[in-house]
Amino acid sequence: MRVYLLCLLISAFPAAAHAVIAQQEMRPGIGASAEYLVGERSKPAVLLVHGFLQTREFSTVATLARGLHDSGYTVLAPTLSLNVPNRSQSLACEAVHKHSLEDDVAEIGRWVAWLKSHGHRSIVLVGHSFGSLQLLAYLSLKPDPAVKAYIGASLVEAQIGTADRPALIGQLEARMHGKQRALVAQTLSFCRKYPSTPEGLLSYVRWDQARVLAALKQSPVGVKLIMGDADTLLGQGWLKTLQHVQVPMVIVAGANHFMDGSHEFDLLEHALKSLDTIQQAPTR
Amino acid sequence: MKWPDSISIKHIALAFITGLLVLMSLIGGFAAYQTRAVSHSLEQQNQNAAESELAAAVQRLLSRTEDQALKLAYWDETRQQLVLPEYYAYWRDQRVYESGILDNRHVRAALYDPSGMQLAPSPTKISMPARLPVSTPPHQSSSWLVDEAGAVALYSAFPVYSGEQRQTLLGHGLIRLDFMPALLRQESLHFTDTTSVKLILEPGETLAASELFSRLRFSARPDPDQLQFQTILSRTLLALFVLLVVTALLGFVAYNRLLMRPLGRLSEFIDAMQHGRFSPSPSRSQTMRISELENIRRSLYDYQLQLRELHGSMEHQNREFHSQARQDALTGCHNRRAYEEDWENFRQELKSAPQGVAFLLFDCDRFKTINDTYGHAKGDRVLSIIADALVMALRANDRLYRLGGDEFATFLSRTTPAQAKQIAQRCQSLLDASAFSDLGIIEPVGISIGIAFCAPDQLEHIDELPKQADIAMYTAKQPGRTRIALYGEDTERASQTLVASRETSALFQALATPGMIEMHYQSIHSLPGRKVGYYEALARIRYHGDLIMPNAFLPVVSSRRLETEFDLAVLLQVDADLSSGQLPAGCGVSINLSAQSISRPEIVSHLLELSRHNARHPLMLEITETSLITQMVEVRTYLDLLRTVNYRIAMDDFGTGYSPLRYLVDLPVDVVKFDISLVNKLGENNRAGQVVADFARMMGDAGYVLVAEGVETDAVLRKVESLGIAHVQGYLLSRPVPLAELAAANAAQNLKTTCSV
Repeated sequence: MRVYLLCLLISAFPAAAHAVIAQQEMRPGIGASAEYLVGERSKPAVLLVHGFLQTREFSTVATLARGLHDSGYTVLAPTLSLNVPNRSQSLACEAVHKHSLEDDVAEIGRWVAWLKSHGHRSIVLVGHSFGSLQLLAYLSLKPDPAVKAYIGASLVEAQIGTADRPALIGQLEARMHGKQRALVAQTLSFCRKYPSTPEGLLSYVRWDQARVLAALKQSPVGVKLIMGDADTLLGQGWLKTLQHVQVPMVIVAGANHFMDGSHEFDLLEHALKSLDTIQQAPTR
Repeated sequence: MKWPDSISIKHIALAFITGLLVLMSLIGGFAAYQTRAVSHSLEQQNQNAAESELAAAVQRLLSRTEDQALKLAYWDETRQQLVLPEYYAYWRDQRVYESGILDNRHVRAALYDPSGMQLAPSPTKISMPARLPVSTPPHQSSSWLVDEAGAVALYSAFPVYSGEQRQTLLGHGLIRLDFMPALLRQESLHFTDTTSVKLILEPGETLAASELFSRLRFSARPDPDQLQFQTILSRTLLALFVLLVVTALLGFVAYNRLLMRPLGRLSEFIDAMQHGRFSPSPSRSQTMRISELENIRRSLYDYQLQLRELHGSMEHQNREFHSQARQDALTGCHNRRAYEEDWENFRQELKSAPQGVAFLLFDCDRFKTINDTYGHAKGDRVLSIIADALVMALRANDRLYRLGGDEFATFLSRTTPAQAKQIAQRCQSLLDASAFSDLGIIEPVGISIGIAFCAPDQLEHIDELPKQADIAMYTAKQPGRTRIALYGEDTERASQTLVASRETSALFQALATPGMIEMHYQSIHSLPGRKVGYYEALARIRYHGDLIMPNAFLPVVSSRRLETEFDLAVLLQVDADLSSGQLPAGCGVSINLSAQSISRPEIVSHLLELSRHNARHPLMLEITETSLITQMVEVRTYLDLLRTVNYRIAMDDFGTGYSPLRYLVDLPVDVVKFDISLVNKLGENNRAGQVVADFARMMGDAGYVLVAEGVETDAVLRKVESLGIAHVQGYLLSRPVPLAELAAANAAQNLKTTCSV
């Protein structure tokens, strides 16, 4: 299977050369771009969102995008702006983070709309890591009807380290109410120091495991999780929790959080299987 | 430039050492020059390396700054700040450093909006311009330097676009860094002296980065290896030079001890030998270390010994030769050469020590007669006895010189005329006491002594002493003298005639020039009646119009032994006079001849030829009695011959010489002429007059025809007449006159003169 996929990748390489960069101005002065890989029209378009502070060039995402596209799927892989004009680089943890989860969700909505504007009526949201959380946040709101399914790889909650989440949320809310604009440096995800605006940080901090689980359960579209059993970045007992709530999930044995190496193909394989399943299921 | 003929070995050694030192100095100088050239090359390489590395450092700094600017320009967070500058200060003061884009806090960054205004004012301690320079190109990066209060700041501005496609210019970024610290902080500056690096920039001046290097001033860091190399080389050269000088000095000392001194000693030794100075023990103990020199020294020593012996022998021979050269072999007294040297030295000594000087000239009387009579051996013996006697008579320090023949001389120092005469008399006394009879010589042997004296205050006339002594000596030889004559006292007249150069010149000229001898004729009168019997021809010399009398030139004739030549000249002139016919026919002529001339064949030959006049003018020969006739047999033979051609023989000056009776006995004498000294005795009425008168009668009785000479008074004339003397001659009756005058007088008297013999 893996050999087949490798051959497919090589043979489909010329198609990658026809990638289109789509650009949109998300907010004044803040432009964002997405790689638009046109696939077969009969297949749903995939909106592939990268992980925390990464870009679409991140290895796991880029490999997955190529694999999906090679399999005939149209893939739109945006790089979320994170309020950085035309961001093209991974944003450092220590950088000024003026973005919020709402901004991210808004941009996802804009890219869904962009896909629709390009004729795609069936859109599958595929995310990796924090991108899965952001897509889940989009689904928790009023998602576009064209969105037909959700595949989350290495889904994590908004981890804040050892900090007391309720207390932190309280502090951040207090800052917001006090209109204190000073950056707040807090552990978030893999960032030990994450300077952010209070409202931006608060938008992420609110998404703890419970809220994620709730969002999964309340998803308006079919959900599929692809998790690695060697993912050390996941919160303790997260996989068991997910299994406990019976979320459709594939656990790739030996895969870490980034599913790199040979597990990239596992991820692609499972993603393609999920997409095939979604294709055969009746649309909403 | 003239090179010396020879140079010493010391000079050669010094020249060699000097040349060596000069050569080494030149080599050292050349090495130093080469070292300096190498050092200069190394310094130049060092400078080039410093220049290269500094240029590289500058370029590296600029590149790094541009790289930082590029990174900032394409950094997402930079764009974010230009769009959302709320947390610009955080970005400026923290993010740019945390991200690693700017590597240290000395480098500052700032962002400017598209209009060039800074997003937010910089803190006061950070001097970032509030506005970009208007010259900043909007779409290009640019770098420049500004002197800010003594510190040079490097600025690098860059445009920031919204995306990689550079669609929208979001603004500009600016990096500032302190240029010098940033440049010199680089650890790659190994050749550049970082303390010397300066950027020449006027205060406030803006300099484009491209022109940066041209304004940099720097110097290379001294290369410690090169310095060490130079130090080692200099010390080595100095050590070599010192070593060379010390070696040269030691070499010179060794050279001096081993070669120069021995050679010098040998040279001095040879010089001493050359000048005849032989050291008693020539360096016998001072052996030489150089075997060759030691061999030379030994050879020289041996050679010196031989030479000394030879020299001693030669010196002895020289002394003998010198002595012999200055000694008369016959008499043992000093010879003429010694006389000339001693006289010259004595004259020189007199200049510093004036004193009375007497010059004595000795001459043996009648030595030739003795020599001829008794042979040369006895003559030589006579001279030896005379020399011995004279040496004995002289003072201890006086020297006797034999000037030649029988002539001796001496000069007496610190003397007076009286002392000189006394010494002369002692000479004669000792000579008179000498036993000549032991040699079989019966004639008296005496000497005549001429003395000349020069007082201490008249030493300028010292050169005339020999001549004056000569004059005095011949004066002393005159008949009737005491045989000692002091010039000035005894020979006043004679001195003027004897060797006066005028008379001598006249005599020699007359002998060479026929006609200069002029014959004057004095009549000789017959008694009684006092008629002219015949004439005596008396010689005069006409010299430059003056008439020189016989008493002036006859001593010269005698001293120069010119009797024969003179007599020949007289005979020629008489022949001419007689041939002229001016003398009255029948008047005889008496001719004076010296005894020496009678024995000369050429004289006899002329007399025979002259005898042709005998028929017209009877001729008579007068032989003076004062001269010693040594060849009696030959003279008699010739006189007999002459008598056969009608010559009559007269003995002149009878009574003044010696052995008159012998002459009368041995010679064929017809006429005897009484000397004036005898004639004058006739005037005296005493025993002497009686003796002369009786002698005259006796001579007349014996058949001799007598002639009285020098009759000047009537008393003497009457006495002569009373004695029956046949002829008389003297100024009382007539004076000698020239032939022309005689002829003229006779013509004036218009008388035909007749002579009666």
